[in-house]
Amino acid sequence: MTARSAAFALLAFFVATFIFFCVAAPRFATASNMENLMSGFSFVAILAIGQSFPILLRGIDLSVGAIVALAGMIVFDLELIFHLPGWLILPIALVAATLAGALNGWLVVKLKLQPFIATLATLAAYRGLVYSISGRQLVPGLSTTPIRDPWITGLETYFDFGSLLGISDWVTLPWVPLSFFIMLVVLAAFHFLLGSTRFGRSLYTVGGNPEAARLAGIDTARVTLAGYAVSGFCAGLAAILLVARLTTATEALGTGMEMSAIAAAVIGGVSLSGGIGSVVGPVIGAFLLGTILIGLTLLGISQYVQQILTGAILVAAVGYDRILDLRRRRRLVANLAEETHA
Amino acid sequence: MIASVPALGRRLAPHALPLAMLVIIIAFAVSEPAFLKPDNLIGIVRQVAITGIMAVGMTFVIMTGGIDLSVGPVLALSGVIALFSLDAGVPLPLSIVAGLSVGLVVGLLNGFIVARLELPPIIVTLAMLSMVRGSALLIGGPDLHPIRGHEAYAAIGSGDFLGLPISVHLFAAVTVLMVLVQKLTPLGLLVAAIGENERAARLSGHRTRLTKMALYAICGVGAAIAGIVQSSQVHTASAVYGEFGTELDVIASVVLGGTSLMGGNGSIARTILGVMFLGIINNGMNILNVPIDIQLIAKGVIIAVSLALSEWRA
Repeated sequence: MTARSAAFALLAFFVATFIFFCVAAPRFATASNMENLMSGFSFVAILAIGQSFPILLRGIDLSVGAIVALAGMIVFDLELIFHLPGWLILPIALVAATLAGALNGWLVVKLKLQPFIATLATLAAYRGLVYSISGRQLVPGLSTTPIRDPWITGLETYFDFGSLLGISDWVTLPWVPLSFFIMLVVLAAFHFLLGSTRFGRSLYTVGGNPEAARLAGIDTARVTLAGYAVSGFCAGLAAILLVARLTTATEALGTGMEMSAIAAAVIGGVSLSGGIGSVVGPVIGAFLLGTILIGLTLLGISQYVQQILTGAILVAAVGYDRILDLRRRRRLVANLAEETHA
Repeated sequence: MIASVPALGRRLAPHALPLAMLVIIIAFAVSEPAFLKPDNLIGIVRQVAITGIMAVGMTFVIMTGGIDLSVGPVLALSGVIALFSLDAGVPLPLSIVAGLSVGLVVGLLNGFIVARLELPPIIVTLAMLSMVRGSALLIGGPDLHPIRGHEAYAAIGSGDFLGLPISVHLFAAVTVLMVLVQKLTPLGLLVAAIGENERAARLSGHRTRLTKMALYAICGVGAAIAGIVQSSQVHTASAVYGEFGTELDVIASVVLGGTSLMGGNGSIARTILGVMFLGIINNGMNILNVPIDIQLIAKGVIIAVSLALSEWRA
C-alpha cells in the first residue's frame, strides 16, 4: 500500500506543479505547448521505463545515451547508404539496441562486473562504435541529406482529436503525437510484464534479494540479462522516435540522456536499493521533469538556474523516498513488536 | 601441468595491472621507439596530472562505498572563480584559496547530504553535478575567459621547476601527502573500516559521519586543485570545462587501481597505477595515430577486461 500511496503522492505533486505553471507561466496552458511537452518528453519517458529494469535489479545502465546514438546511426546508415526499406530498418535497429543492452547484462552476469563500471565501459565503447560506423564521415555529403522514408518519418505524426470529435470550433485541443501513444503502449506492455508475469515476479525477487532468489530456484543470470536487454530495447525505441523527429542522426545523439532517464526513474519511486518500484512512476517522473523544465523556460528563467533547480528537485525526490523508506521500516518494527507482545 | 595453469593464474592475478602495463609499454615501444623518449614519458605524467589529482582525492570516497560524480563541474567552477578573483585584483594566494574553497564547500555539502541524511551518493553527487554546472555557467557564462597578465598563475600549469613541469610536482606532492595520510594516520584506517562495515565502525565509537564529510571535502578540494592546474595550463578558464566524461575517467582510474566500488579495499598508490595505465594507453594510441573511435572502443574493452581479470581472482 505504501508503494501505491507514494505513486499517488507523486501524481498529486505532478498535478500541483502542472496547475502552478498553468497559472504562473504565460503560454504554458496552450495547445501547442502541450504538444511540445508530449513530443519532447515521450522518449525520455520510454528511456525511464527501460532504466527502471536495471535499477530494480540493484544495477544501473549508464550506456543508454550511447545506445540511442548507436541505434540512431544504424537507422541513418541503413537508410542513406544501403537504401533498405524502412519496415526492415526499424526492427534491425531495435534488435541491435537490444543486443547492446544484453551485452551489458552479459558483462554484469558472466564477468561479474559491477553494473556501474560495466555500463561505463560500454558507454565509451558504444560511443566509439558510433563514430566508426558514422555514415556522416564515411560518405561525404550525406550529413545534409534528410531521411525521407515514410516508415520512419511517419512516426512523427500528430493526431488532431479536436476536429475528429468535431469540437475544434469550441476548444483548441493539442494534436497528440504518435510517439506519445507508442510510449503508452510500451508502458502498458512493461507494466503487464512486471506486474502479471512470472518474469516480473522473478525480477522483483532478484532485485530484492539476489541470494534468496537463487536459492528459490530462479535463474538470476537470465533475469538480469533480460533486464538489461529491456533497457537496451527502450533506448533503441527512443532513438527511432528521435531520428524520426530530427530526420537525421548525429554522433552526439543522446549525450547525457542517461542522466534524465535515471533522474526520472528515481523521482518515479524506483528504489536504488532494488526490488521496489513500478514503470508508471518513471513515466510520471519524466513528464514532471518536462513540465518543470518547459515551465521554467516560459517563465523566462535562465537555463542555468534550471540546471540548479533540476539538481535540487532530484535531491528532494530521493530525500522524500528516504523518508518513506524510514517510515516503512519503523512501521515494520512496530508491527513486529505488537505481534510478539500479543 | 594442466592443474598448475589456474594456480599460476591465481598467483599472477593480483599483479594483473602491472603486468598488463608492462605488456602494453613493450608493445608501444616496439611499434614506435619514440614512445620511450624521456620527453614523452614526462609528457604522459603531465597529461595525467589533472585526472590523477582528482583520482587521488576520489579514492577514499570510493573506499567508503561512495562515489563523487560532481568533480567535473567543480573543476570548471574553481578555475572560473580563481580567474575572476585575479581579475578583480585579489592577490594570487588568496585567489587560489578562493578557487579551492569552491571544492571545499561543494565537497562538504555532498558529504553532509550523504553522511547525515543518508541519501545514495550516486544520486546526490549527480544532482550536485547539475547544480554546480548551473552555478558555474551562471557566474562565468558559456564563453572561454583568456588569462592575461597573470604570469605567476599561468606558471602553475605551464611552468618548469628543476626540469619538471610544476603540475607534475603538484601531482607528486598531492599523491605523497595522501599516501602518508593513508599509511600513517588513523584516518587511513578509519576509511577502510567504514568501507568494510560502516555500522560496526560507528558502533565502535568512531565518528563515521564526520569522517565521511571530511572525505567528500578532500575529494572536492582535489577537483578544485585540478581546476586551477587545468585553467593555468590552457591559459583560459571556462564554465564548460570538465565536461561529462571527466568524472568517468577519474572513477575508471581508481577502480582500475583495484579499489572496489563496494567499498573496503583500496590504496592511493595503486590508484596512481590505474591513472598511469589509462594515461599510457591514451598516449600510446595517440602516438600510433589510432583514430578516436577505435580509441574509445579500446578503452572500454581494456577497462572491462582488466576488471574481469581482477574479479576472476576472487
